[in-house]
Amino acid sequence: MQTLRYIMKRVLLAAVSLFAIITITFFLMNLMPGDPFMSEKASEENRAILIAKYGLDQPVYVQYGKYLENLVHGDMGTSYVLQKGRAVRDIITESFTVSMTLGIKALIVAVIVGIVLGCISGLMKDRLPDGIIRVITSLGISMPGYVIASTLMLVLAVNLGVLPVSYKKPGGSIMPIITLAAYPTCYLARLTRASILEVMNQDYLRTERAKGMSEFVVVFVHALKNSLIPVITYLGPLTASILTGGFVAESVFNVPGLGRYFVSSISSRDYTMIMGVTIFYSALIVLMNLVCDILYKIVDPRIKLD
Amino acid sequence: MKKFNKAMSAALVLGMTAASMPCTAAFAEEADKITISITGGGEDSMQLNTATSGFLNGLSACRHLYEGLYKLDANGEVVLGQAASVETSEDMMTWTFTLRDDITWSDGQPVTAGDFVYGFDNLAAQGGDYSTLISDVVESYEATDDKTLVLHLSNPCGYLPSVLAFPSTYPVRKEMVEEFGDAYATDPEKALYNGPYAMTSWDHEAEVVMELRDDYYDADSISVGTINWMLTTEESTALASFESGDIMYSDMCPDEEAPRMEGNGLFYVPGNNNYCVMFNLGDKGNEVLKDQKVREALSLTIDRDRIIAIRDLNDEMGKTLACSGYVNADGVDFTDYADPWLDVTDYEGNCEKAKALLAEAGYENGEGFPALTYIVNNDSRKEIAEAIVNDWKEVLGIDGITVEKVENFSAARRAGDYDIAYYGWYMDYTDLSNMFGTFVNTADSNSFYQSDDYDAAYTAAISTADQAEQWEHYKECEAILAKDLPVSVILHSMSSYLFDDVTYDGLVYSCGNFVFTYITEK
Repeated sequence: MQTLRYIMKRVLLAAVSLFAIITITFFLMNLMPGDPFMSEKASEENRAILIAKYGLDQPVYVQYGKYLENLVHGDMGTSYVLQKGRAVRDIITESFTVSMTLGIKALIVAVIVGIVLGCISGLMKDRLPDGIIRVITSLGISMPGYVIASTLMLVLAVNLGVLPVSYKKPGGSIMPIITLAAYPTCYLARLTRASILEVMNQDYLRTERAKGMSEFVVVFVHALKNSLIPVITYLGPLTASILTGGFVAESVFNVPGLGRYFVSSISSRDYTMIMGVTIFYSALIVLMNLVCDILYKIVDPRIKLD
Repeated sequence: MKKFNKAMSAALVLGMTAASMPCTAAFAEEADKITISITGGGEDSMQLNTATSGFLNGLSACRHLYEGLYKLDANGEVVLGQAASVETSEDMMTWTFTLRDDITWSDGQPVTAGDFVYGFDNLAAQGGDYSTLISDVVESYEATDDKTLVLHLSNPCGYLPSVLAFPSTYPVRKEMVEEFGDAYATDPEKALYNGPYAMTSWDHEAEVVMELRDDYYDADSISVGTINWMLTTEESTALASFESGDIMYSDMCPDEEAPRMEGNGLFYVPGNNNYCVMFNLGDKGNEVLKDQKVREALSLTIDRDRIIAIRDLNDEMGKTLACSGYVNADGVDFTDYADPWLDVTDYEGNCEKAKALLAEAGYENGEGFPALTYIVNNDSRKEIAEAIVNDWKEVLGIDGITVEKVENFSAARRAGDYDIAYYGWYMDYTDLSNMFGTFVNTADSNSFYQSDDYDAAYTAAISTADQAEQWEHYKECEAILAKDLPVSVILHSMSSYLFDDVTYDGLVYSCGNFVFTYITEK
């Protein structure tokens, strides 16, 4: 009952947060200089026709009211620039499906590889495997995604020819998955290592060992479970960001996902797309944070959800 | 343990490969037709509504899906397309087109003169970049019957075939536009096609597939059965795809890779453009730039040789507004026919003349010259602008000019929020009118320049079909601009593209438009 009340409260809070995000984004967006119909070849008259057609000649508060009204009915408008004429809702649905498919694979790789590497590193502290893993994870964290993607493409696609450049071809999603998973894998490995090291010195583990429990049970049942709390904290926003795709991986490998819209919609002043992806991403972040909070409770029942 | 690791690695790679296999439908292909994969830009430029499309990539795609009264042939020449014949009145003011009998839309309906009339109406109504393309030269038009289209011109217009070969002027099926509205031509089933190809799939942000139409009147002579049009935004990705053999054409190649790719598939062609420095002659521009002597001094001092060397992209020196490649009946190029704006071979002499002009304007050695803002829209143009500002500082002593890269460059320039700006024009079709038309009545954009003499010379040029007379008028246009200097021409860049000429032949490239219809395997 307490959990249900907590969830209801969080959902209400999420609705208020989303409303604030929509409002702030809408007005900030309209403060940006320029408009979606800037073109060196278009005359001022033609620009005026388009601005009037989409109601951008109305006062901003009127546009805002109309946008909210349409949004309540599930209408996010049509794209002005990036996919001119197509419904924003359709674009987000299609591209999110692609990003999510790719993101889930990358997330699985990141969680499994990251936690395993973190455990190995933490349990073998200051030994050779720990050193190697720390070097690799430091590199993975500090290397920009663009460098990783370009290097993979150059080596695996152009020089060795073992994988295709295009995402559309068979095997084409391997390099985007590696690019997407690289940073979170390394970050999770470091997070798990630090957490494991902290937990391993706790009194309750010493007690368990003294009670004669096997080292396997101590480490993988008790230590690992408790060391996952900070990992879960990170998994919330990570899941939201990885599921919505990555600008670099999607641009370099031509993946028709959502990630590239976060940048391109702003640079092209595609107002409806800016609003659409912002609302969608915000809702996803809010949802993932809620899921994480509930997961805390499952992992550690002592945590109170309030 | 090692074996286990290897097995795990193999399983991981196999698993990821299997997981990454997309489900694709198989398309039947005719044995004698070939399939090609190409790229020319990203999704945002793939606009297939002929009335609103403004990007080269989309316009090129339109040339495959639709066809106008004229089209580009295998040599890139403008020839009759959907029209079987054309008759012009003696005064060249009335053009009567008779449509072919064997032209159909992709739903089997015949293409009618009424579809052209609706296309012209729709173009004017939609407010796209080229919405005035017809109304600029055509006073009225009518379909006298299903097969006859009559155009009444406002002036004689020798370049009308180039205009009518441009995708914005293609026919449109009224019921499709009315049914789909803004969503018209955003998916395969939301448009009908009268060109050689029909779109069969559009995986947004990824790929457009076009298949040759069996009922296109010239289908038998076309070798390319399927065109996979990849939607790529990254130049490095396009290059990698080309080098790995995934695509046979790309108009994107990173500048830094150009030297390596020369001789390995990279081709240069005249870019039909210009690259200039623009002076704001409008109300918001600094008063100092309204002095012609100052503008001339600034123009003379630009070291064009050095800028071309910095860019290292095979640029052509800018001595006239028009670029080379336009030749008259005597074989003379227009850039040699017109008087050059300045003697580009005598930079030292130009600098001396510039110093004297600046002194006459009251700013000897740059003293008292006001601070100005020079805006550009990207990093490479900023580098060039800084080199130019450095020339002005070194030679003229002017050191108060600041270069700024601005995010909303077009809006800033349109609003006149600059003193000096980058200016460049890429022609849409290969006729000089398209270059000189950019300085007619430009109160809203190009430098806020307005000259009745210039407008008269331009109007006279486009009103005659006689090339000798026309060139004389264009020459006069050049002379007026060289004197008034709303811009200073620096160079004409080359266009480049990657093409697998080892395997294929027959690529048509014209003014940035690419046509794959005539591609054959070697």
